[in-house]
Amino acid sequence: MSEYADPSVLVSTDWVNERLNTDLKIVEVDVDTQQYAAGHIPGAVAFDWTTQLQDQTQRDIISKENFEALLGKAGISNDDEVVIYGDNNNWFAAYAFWVFKYYGHDNVKLMNGGRSKWLDEEDKPLTTDTPNPTPTTYSVGETNPQIRAFAQDVLQVARDGNANLVDVRSPDECSGKVIAPPGRSETAQRAGHVPGAKSVPWVTAVNPDGTFKSRGDLEKIYFEDAGVSEGTDTIAYCRIGERSSHTWFVLKYLLGLPNVKNYDGSWTEYGSMIGVPIER
Amino acid sequence: MNHQTRVYDDIFEMLPDEDNPTPLVRINRLNPEPGFTLYAKLEWMNPFASVKDRAASYLLRQMEEEKGLRARGTNGPEDPGKGIVEPTSGNTGLSLAGLAGVKGYPMKAVLPNKVPLEKKLMLKLAGAELEVVNDDLCPSPGMGEGSINLARTIARAQSNKFAMPHQYENENNVRAHMETTGPEIWKQTAGEITHMITSLGTCGTVTGLSKFLKSKNPDIKVIAVAPSEGHDVPGLRNMSQLSVTTLYDESLIDDVLEIDYELAYTRAAELFSHEGLRAGPSAGLIFEGGRIVAERDKTGLGVMIFCDDAFKYATNFAKHMPELTEGTSPMNHENPRPVGAAKE
Repeated sequence: MSEYADPSVLVSTDWVNERLNTDLKIVEVDVDTQQYAAGHIPGAVAFDWTTQLQDQTQRDIISKENFEALLGKAGISNDDEVVIYGDNNNWFAAYAFWVFKYYGHDNVKLMNGGRSKWLDEEDKPLTTDTPNPTPTTYSVGETNPQIRAFAQDVLQVARDGNANLVDVRSPDECSGKVIAPPGRSETAQRAGHVPGAKSVPWVTAVNPDGTFKSRGDLEKIYFEDAGVSEGTDTIAYCRIGERSSHTWFVLKYLLGLPNVKNYDGSWTEYGSMIGVPIER
Repeated sequence: MNHQTRVYDDIFEMLPDEDNPTPLVRINRLNPEPGFTLYAKLEWMNPFASVKDRAASYLLRQMEEEKGLRARGTNGPEDPGKGIVEPTSGNTGLSLAGLAGVKGYPMKAVLPNKVPLEKKLMLKLAGAELEVVNDDLCPSPGMGEGSINLARTIARAQSNKFAMPHQYENENNVRAHMETTGPEIWKQTAGEITHMITSLGTCGTVTGLSKFLKSKNPDIKVIAVAPSEGHDVPGLRNMSQLSVTTLYDESLIDDVLEIDYELAYTRAAELFSHEGLRAGPSAGLIFEGGRIVAERDKTGLGVMIFCDDAFKYATNFAKHMPELTEGTSPMNHENPRPVGAAKE
């Protein structure tokens, strides 16, 4: 993993296993929230992406106050080293990582391969015991709003073409064949993609065992094949902003692009706005 | 056990083998090619009404021998026992739950939410505890095997309570067909079978049958039928969904026919109304494969595996053949629309 632009944000399953029962804080964030209850890494707490990482009234990420309360209740202090992992190739774990970074928690890492890799390795313990952490007082300091894009940022790029746009949805969503995958409730009024966006489905970045592909492979996928420019600002988007967190992580930390933002409004916002340019 | 009088001491004795095969029934009115004989092997005649009884009985035996299954109450009234956890679209779970129940073992079935309600209720009737997993939020190639991973987690984290047979990787799934289905077909067709037509799911059936039949006659063609992309045929997998199973071996398959999945439903309906065969959707798709092969190859004797019957799929049939629901409600004579139907 040392090949990546910033290897400090990615740790292996072995690394985590060697640090069980230490001060390391472990957080599980799954797409399927049943997974944690069935069995998890000893000592790990679980955050529910729908109810705990998003505002429950307006469409937004969790508020600063609720983030502080969530981490405080989970026994996480400002200086703690936190490792996040989850199912589906760390999909929502990457979203949680993005939220942690947004609220300025610097010492946060993803466990490469997520829970699937942990499960594959017979020497890795699993438990159904839920930890009972001692609450802390967590206090958000300086935030990192520069890692988040809003609709106006995307519109600016759509009009000027002065940054990379990476559409991480499935090819059918990007081409406008479908607005959303079948059966999904979060949808938009129109199908297609933001003009100029490069289509690179998020899952392209991972190996079959859930770990991230090598830096060389990722450079080929994003730079050579998709035509993402290395020296330019970049915005990643998907449908509701979670898949794009995963690609945001890849572009910012594994490939080291200079200024990468996640557009969490994503297609459900962009594809519903009146008068914005859309390509099919 | 007496297969002549069909008097048995328990359900295990009814499980099929060479001496107690599931029936082969010839297709008559719907056969498009008179020179090609098509037989359906009616796997719904198994004790729990699907082909999965075969694999389930082998898997259960292996779990008993290797994983120490234990009936509830073995070590006192509080003993929850040690049973089976398995990801299943329904049929394997139903077979495992039925067989496990007879032995007193607990059974937990992990299944995707898209499994029809009929199957979920049947599993509960058979005594299984359900863990229902949400279907993919954002499907991507190779993703969304939440039920498999959840079952693996339970088996690892609660190994004192559950063992997982893992039908997608377990060679006993293949062995069941090498030792039962294959020999049955060979005997029933007096070795004259030329084509074997089945579907892809765990691939235990196609791999086991191919290994056995090709060992008897290497010229037998093994044809796998796969539903088209985005399909809604429970239990089946198309080519892009096969990464979860290690039992798929393309060297054992002569042809893969990808078929429009809607035909699974319409062909199944034709089988019921024209041949008296109450075929489920997967059998409908396999029948379409048999038709294609018969028209293409003109002569031969083909055997199609009809995995299960229609009864568990009423909801799916209603969805894919909405005309079936017409006339199923009483008419309002002043305004001749079915009561409750929306106005135009």
